[in-house]
Amino acid sequence: MMPIIVNLDVMMAKRKISSNELAERVGITAANLSVLKTGKAKAVRFSTLDKICEALDCQPGDILEWEKTE
Amino acid sequence: MWNKTRSLMLSRILAAAFSAFLVMLAFFVPFIAEWLTEVSDGMGLIGGSLYIPSMIIMYICDALGIWAIVELHILLHNITKEKIFVPQNTACLRGISWACMLAGCAFAVLGLWRFLSIMPAFAAVMFGLVMRVLKNVFEEAVEIKSENDFTI
Repeated sequence: MMPIIVNLDVMMAKRKISSNELAERVGITAANLSVLKTGKAKAVRFSTLDKICEALDCQPGDILEWEKTE
Repeated sequence: MWNKTRSLMLSRILAAAFSAFLVMLAFFVPFIAEWLTEVSDGMGLIGGSLYIPSMIIMYICDALGIWAIVELHILLHNITKEKIFVPQNTACLRGISWACMLAGCAFAVLGLWRFLSIMPAFAAVMFGLVMRVLKNVFEEAVEIKSENDFTI
């Protein structure tokens, strides 16, 4: 289990933005955004993170969270 | 002009021809064993006729060969469908590797009757080892591809 948690859903709800709209603004497919939201992604490019932060007007730490695992 | 598609087609034709050869071989094993017993001249730890042991080993190797060729067909089919770095292909390479290793062991057993059988045993084990290393490389490539696919 990946110790990095993606809180994209929370941030999207706060900004009241839909998946399709965010995907369009970031320039990725809705399917890839779904992979990111469900925590299936293995890596995120800095360029993608930059666009997501810009679109949601937030910091990377608002989207990504590290959880200690045993 | 020679290209990737034609090369793949040639591989599939050769694999199909070899499959047919292996199936045909199963019907002629007693005759080949009889011929081998007549022409074979060499030393071994166990004396006596070579007929029964060579027949058993040939049946075992034929079955292992059919197993390997089935795995090869699956591998070629996946490559044709452009499914290259998938876990199923790694499993196919593992299967081929084990088939070669086991065939090598079978020939090594035949070496008890004829020391000369150690040579094909060595070749089969060596080929199995090469396939095993290829399987390891493939396994790593599947992992890298998976990471690449899930990089957003």
